[in-house]
Amino acid sequence: MHRLPRRQISRDLTRVANAPVSDVLEAIGDTDVPPAFRIGITGPPGGGKSTLINALVAERLGNSLETTLAVLAIDPASPVSGGAILGDRIRMDAIADLPGLFIRSLSSRGARNGLCDNVVDLLALLEGHGFSEILLETVGVGQSEVAVHEVVDTLVVIVPPDAGDSVQTMKSGILEMADIVVVTKGDQPGAQRMAADLAAVLRARAGREPPVIQTQSSGVGVAELSAAITAHHRWVTEQRPATLSREKRRIYHLKALIERQIHEALRSDQQIAQGTLSQSYDRLLANLRVT
Amino acid sequence: MTLEKKRILIAKPGLDGHDVGAKVIALALRDAGAEVIYTGLRRSPEQIVRIAVDEDVDMLGLSILSGSHKELARSVIAQLHAEEAGDIKVFVGGTIPDEDFDNLREAGVSGIFTSEMTIDSVIAEIERQLS
Ligand SMILES: Nc1nc2c(ncn2[C@@H]2O[C@H](COP(=O)(O)OP(=O)(O)OP(=O)(O)O)[C@@H](O)[C@H]2O)c(=O)[nH]1
Ligand SMILES: [Mg+2]
Repeated sequence: MHRLPRRQISRDLTRVANAPVSDVLEAIGDTDVPPAFRIGITGPPGGGKSTLINALVAERLGNSLETTLAVLAIDPASPVSGGAILGDRIRMDAIADLPGLFIRSLSSRGARNGLCDNVVDLLALLEGHGFSEILLETVGVGQSEVAVHEVVDTLVVIVPPDAGDSVQTMKSGILEMADIVVVTKGDQPGAQRMAADLAAVLRARAGREPPVIQTQSSGVGVAELSAAITAHHRWVTEQRPATLSREKRRIYHLKALIERQIHEALRSDQQIAQGTLSQSYDRLLANLRVT
Repeated sequence: MTLEKKRILIAKPGLDGHDVGAKVIALALRDAGAEVIYTGLRRSPEQIVRIAVDEDVDMLGLSILSGSHKELARSVIAQLHAEEAGDIKVFVGGTIPDEDFDNLREAGVSGIFTSEMTIDSVIAEIERQLS
């Protein structure tokens, strides 16, 4: 039996989370390791994402000692203080003791896309530590935030039965990106109806039919969901050559790094706005190289 | 904010089911800029230590109203050391009689907070110790 080097992984994550871009590559380890299977779980606030992860991890990992699984769970930062309450773990009590599981709670730290700015660095770091699967819980946001789609292989979008109006906004956003749709809280009234409505909407709008699965916190429907996730993973692997998904990820990662580099360069230069636009631009380019 | 990017775990070991005090502290820490991980009720010392390690916290606050603060604090601190995480500062809050303070400090507890203290003084002390 192998034991996860928890202290090491944990410290590496902190280091990467707080590192300036110039240090991130070294902090990640910059190895060319095979990517993990990444599963994204997104959906409205309080919709049941963490509760679903609790049941899904128990189903996919169990007490296995061969496979390892990591969960990154992002909660929103307070725009006023910058602090955050990271409470996703409260719902993940059934899996708290699994030996092959590592859970990390993250603050969005001001990112507005439902993720945190360096989430791809953190995912890469976990891959370097050999996790075979990574689950990513996004901030429960308005669902025009579709960035999560770019960083995972399989995207699960959850909708609670009482979602009502938010389904309207989701239709033209994240729902179109969903590989699997889950109606949570199946024990509540309206779940059946919501599942039927969503299936109809998806057929009509997107012309494709992602599975729509109903789950309950008791575990009902979770085996079916897990099977659908595995089936989608297989489909992706067959459809999309590994080099293509690797290229897609690499490009997203490069964009994320350069975006942060730009923010850092702008912040460090108080005089950036002086002179003409092209002078400012040259200054910025010069700053990008030194930082 | 002085607690910016500090990670703090607020945990409730033992069997009592009251977490109002824990939640008040968690919110005050968030308002001071900290990233606060909250575990929910009734976690074992083993679980709390594992969470503290996985989350790489700077500080672990144990909220204990059940009266078994001495045993729980010792157990948590011993296990932190066993996991090479003895550098994580442990604070205890709740109904702690004065005569137990020395015992807790000897066990390695860095701060003791009782309901008589104001929230502001609690936060100020945490800021001082983590800076
Ligand atoms: N009745 C019922 N309640 C549920 C179910 N799943 C989750 N809940 C409740 O819904 C609330 C929110 O659940 P979470 O799992 O924390 O939801 P979340 O989407 O992770 O929430 P955020 O991370 O805050 O956006 C909690 O009170 C859960 O107990 C379910 O299947 N049935
Ligand atoms: Mg959650």
